[in-house]
Amino acid sequence: MYKYSDTDKKIIASRVKQFENQVNRRLEGKLTEEEFKPLRLMNGLYLQLHAYMLRVAIPYGELSSKQLRKLAFIADKYDRGYGHFTTRQNIQFNWPKLPDVPEILNELSLVEMHAIQTSGNCIRNISSDHLAGLTINEIEDPRPWCEIIRKWSTFHPEFSFLPRKFKIAVIGCDEDRAAMLVHDIGIRIIKRHCQVGFEIFVGGGQGRTPIIAKKIKNFLPKKDILNYLEAILTTYNQEGRRDNIYKARIKILVQELGIERFKSLVEENFSKLSNKELEIDKKSIEEIFQYFRLPPLKSSSDKIPLEDNQEYKNWIKQNVIPHKIKGFSIVQISLKEPKKPPGDATSNQMKALAKFSEDFSFSEIRVTHEQNLVLPHVPNKELFNLWSQLKKENLATPNLGLITDTICCPGMDYCALATARSIPISQKISNHFNNYCKQKEIGNLKIKISGCINACGHHHVGNIGILGLDRRGEEFYQITLGGSAKEDAAIGEIVGPSFSETDLIDAIEKILNTYKKHKKNKGEDFLSVFRRIGIKEFKKDLYDNFTEKS
Amino acid sequence: MIILQKNHEHKNHYKKIKEQDFLKKKISNGSILTISQWREVEHIIQAQEIDVAIEFSSDACILCENDKLSKVAMIQINFKTFKDGRPYTFAKMLRKKHNFTGELRATGHIIPDQYIFLIRCGFDSVEIEEEHKETWLELLEMDEGLYYQP
Repeated sequence: MYKYSDTDKKIIASRVKQFENQVNRRLEGKLTEEEFKPLRLMNGLYLQLHAYMLRVAIPYGELSSKQLRKLAFIADKYDRGYGHFTTRQNIQFNWPKLPDVPEILNELSLVEMHAIQTSGNCIRNISSDHLAGLTINEIEDPRPWCEIIRKWSTFHPEFSFLPRKFKIAVIGCDEDRAAMLVHDIGIRIIKRHCQVGFEIFVGGGQGRTPIIAKKIKNFLPKKDILNYLEAILTTYNQEGRRDNIYKARIKILVQELGIERFKSLVEENFSKLSNKELEIDKKSIEEIFQYFRLPPLKSSSDKIPLEDNQEYKNWIKQNVIPHKIKGFSIVQISLKEPKKPPGDATSNQMKALAKFSEDFSFSEIRVTHEQNLVLPHVPNKELFNLWSQLKKENLATPNLGLITDTICCPGMDYCALATARSIPISQKISNHFNNYCKQKEIGNLKIKISGCINACGHHHVGNIGILGLDRRGEEFYQITLGGSAKEDAAIGEIVGPSFSETDLIDAIEKILNTYKKHKKNKGEDFLSVFRRIGIKEFKKDLYDNFTEKS
Repeated sequence: MIILQKNHEHKNHYKKIKEQDFLKKKISNGSILTISQWREVEHIIQAQEIDVAIEFSSDACILCENDKLSKVAMIQINFKTFKDGRPYTFAKMLRKKHNFTGELRATGHIIPDQYIFLIRCGFDSVEIEEEHKETWLELLEMDEGLYYQP
């Protein structure tokens, strides 16, 4: 894991002091609310429906046991005993008080954490594959590159007042587990003619205008990554729209100019403005990579304990995947237990997980963009032992990748922008399909739920997407089908008129029946069937009065 | 208002040119022109030993390839709102692409928390209200040297 250098420590400590100064100036009236807003946002502090919300960065989703314990401490002391893991690998606290925030930031700095640039019109927390460094088919670990980009983008003097927020994701293999193609910039590590470099995508995003990112560079040598990012950001900062908040993301600029024109502007900036000092030499790459080496993984036995316990067997099948080192497994912890908001963890669960990570996984925890957690290096022989302990903490729900493993935004229960509730919908789905065999029969299926058009619950890229809308004071839910956030990224298609909360589960059942009816074999999942038969078959079964024209 | 250059305060020597003076082409030392005015009189000023400045608005930071800036002593960018980030990129362009070596000044709606960003992007000075001077200096001192980029 990355360890802070002296510079990192000084920067974070100074930021805490500076934010304290900003809060005091605000309280003394020296800063207007308009002026304070972007400053607090740059420190992760939002004003929500009922209270302030603090979003803490978990760079590229990596946590130590010590850090997780600190998050539990903050949840207990300054919040209401829980935290919410987000779709960009951050954690949110929903009830902090403004005067406490500098102290929370100070507590975080003691364990090398912060809330810098988790919000605001700047470059946000860099996200990545939660299985980085763990799988056999990876070309190179993306985390060191995330760290290099994290440093470059932190308090960047030129890019702290962009037209709109800016999100970057980096992945290290063909499989995309980080929704890289719906980011403002997506970076994939690739190998060409024995040389490792980057493939760069730009202009992806969700919100009210969902767009899949377009490729801007087939192959970029490693040393040029920061200069190329600067060239893209320079172009965006100069040309991006500032007249309309809904048209201010880079995706709109790329769409309006066309990728070829946008690319030519970027290439011109790259050739004329590149800074020799931003080039990364081999030595500094090697230095950063040292932090991300695997722990010493040696196991005396490869065998996974066989126990005559169906729940344990289901969990092994669903939540546990092989590690690239023989004898170890990657254990995925579902934060989608029935009756709980997806992504929430109580402080007791956090403390328990910190302990489990120390006992079983070299004190390491990962956060996934699908709002789950991972213990990355668990010896196979300890799996039953770990499962038994996870179960006591309600952390052994065997539903990874299944219908109840939903992504869900906070919705109207917390969010000031929401037009409908989303957490209760996810809970209804959880309760309705709360049977492992039933879920397994449906197979891999991603349901993603947003409480408004801003799409924080990623509904556009759900295999089944649900969008909460307000219709004359009543909540209605629009369904999209066929979306994907993976390497085959796609934006879902609206299936037809929306459903009331009461009719929603029935509609999902009908959609699943269509899928089951057309499924050719056991292994054909929902998305494959959808792509084969198209939306019309689903419409026919879903709406009684469906005609070809509608 | 005062002019702060890093941590020194100095007097403002520049003033916007009056329309009637410009019409008479009476350009005096310390005149601030718009970019279109500058284009009109650039050839006259080339022969004179006077300091003139050009002012841009943050939402119209545009230069043409053939704009010549070597005789411009100061460029002033007036921030319409502190949230407008375009001048930071414009400052970089002025320094790197247009090789502007004169004084670069930020005026208008800017806040002390932005001082270090402005300086690091190539600004030399800011125009601020005198009563806020201490806050500007305090924040600059707090931030100086604490950043990752070259």
